[in-house]
Amino acid sequence: MARIAGGDPAALGELYDRYGRTVFGILYRLLGSAEPAEEVTQDAFHAVWRRAATYRVDRGSVRTWLLAIARNAAIDWRRTKGKRLEREAAIDEAAELIEETRVDDRVIASLRAERVRAAVAVLPDEQRVVLSLAFWSGLSQSEIAERTGTPLGTVKSRVRLGMSKLRERLRLEGER
Amino acid sequence: MNATVHPLDDLAAYALGVLDGDELRALTVHLESCASCRAEVRSFAETAWAIAETQGRDAPPRMRAAIVERARQDAERRAPRRFAGLWRELLRPVPLVVPLALAAVLLVALVGYGSARRDADRYATVVAGAVGARVVSLAATGAVAGVRGSLVVPANGGAPYLILDLPAPASGKTWEAWVIRGGTPVRAGVTDARGVTALTLTANVAGGDTIAVTEEPAGGVDAPTGRAVLAGTS
Repeated sequence: MARIAGGDPAALGELYDRYGRTVFGILYRLLGSAEPAEEVTQDAFHAVWRRAATYRVDRGSVRTWLLAIARNAAIDWRRTKGKRLEREAAIDEAAELIEETRVDDRVIASLRAERVRAAVAVLPDEQRVVLSLAFWSGLSQSEIAERTGTPLGTVKSRVRLGMSKLRERLRLEGER
Repeated sequence: MNATVHPLDDLAAYALGVLDGDELRALTVHLESCASCRAEVRSFAETAWAIAETQGRDAPPRMRAAIVERARQDAERRAPRRFAGLWRELLRPVPLVVPLALAAVLLVALVGYGSARRDADRYATVVAGAVGARVVSLAATGAVAGVRGSLVVPANGGAPYLILDLPAPASGKTWEAWVIRGGTPVRAGVTDARGVTALTLTANVAGGDTIAVTEEPAGGVDAPTGRAVLAGTS
């Protein structure tokens, strides 16, 4: 990050080599097709380039900072250029993912991804639904509550419980 | 928010990027002073990254080149102008009064630097943390020394808010925010907070509106009576 902040474009390329596949994948998931995912991926890495000097290691890793930037860029894109997307469609996509976490037969190369998928699959349904919406719909907690007709407090507790269980399970898996 | 009250219920949502409204603003400020909550957020954020990794997908090969090329062009665009401007400024004849004034400003700045540095850093970090939002710096008018402020307009359509770095208001006074449209000021919130704080605006903000902060009688007033300490255009 110091090299990026210092204006070294090659360093940005190295950051892309390390995290570009994940960022593009999640943006593809959030935006639904390759074209906007490409555009927003480029915007997200450019935002990192322009804002590298503001990155603080005590606030999190580079990759989670990049993920936050990418996710917000996607939400911004959807609210401006992507207004044509129906919010209900986003919710349908999230529901689709829930099934995929159980029966997705695509090859997921990394063992880590397999572990995560297994950890998500054993979450209670209601927590998995809320986490899926949080991740793939671009909705905030209060928007999720409104869209699903669930009390905000219930949505909050499901997010917290789901993430806590997921974190704990991944931690335990990592220790094996 | 009191640093000893830990908003544990909101940390996972913050890491996922789904926290909004007053809770997001309060937690953003709280994290600046709470190492244990920052550690929790970091931990949840890594869990979120693990989920994201499951969706990894090969991007078109042209993407990498496009990202690096855009950065390279940006670096080129900025570098020559920066140095050209610097040389122009260095070579320009300067009246004697200017260096004397600069020396005086530097002296005052250095005296105040030690005490102000911590809050200044904190302010800068809170502003930098406003990821995915449009941030507009408010200019200090000079009415009160050392004040800072920024307007934050979240990209997700959430309520705009101010990140402020202010001294305590005078006894019997409060800081009041205004949204001024077409020359008409509308009340937009009050705070007595000292140091770095977030203030949610209670009035709508549109492009071209002027945002100002004044010192007013406690409780606030319907129309500004004091001089603006911060002002900027949305």
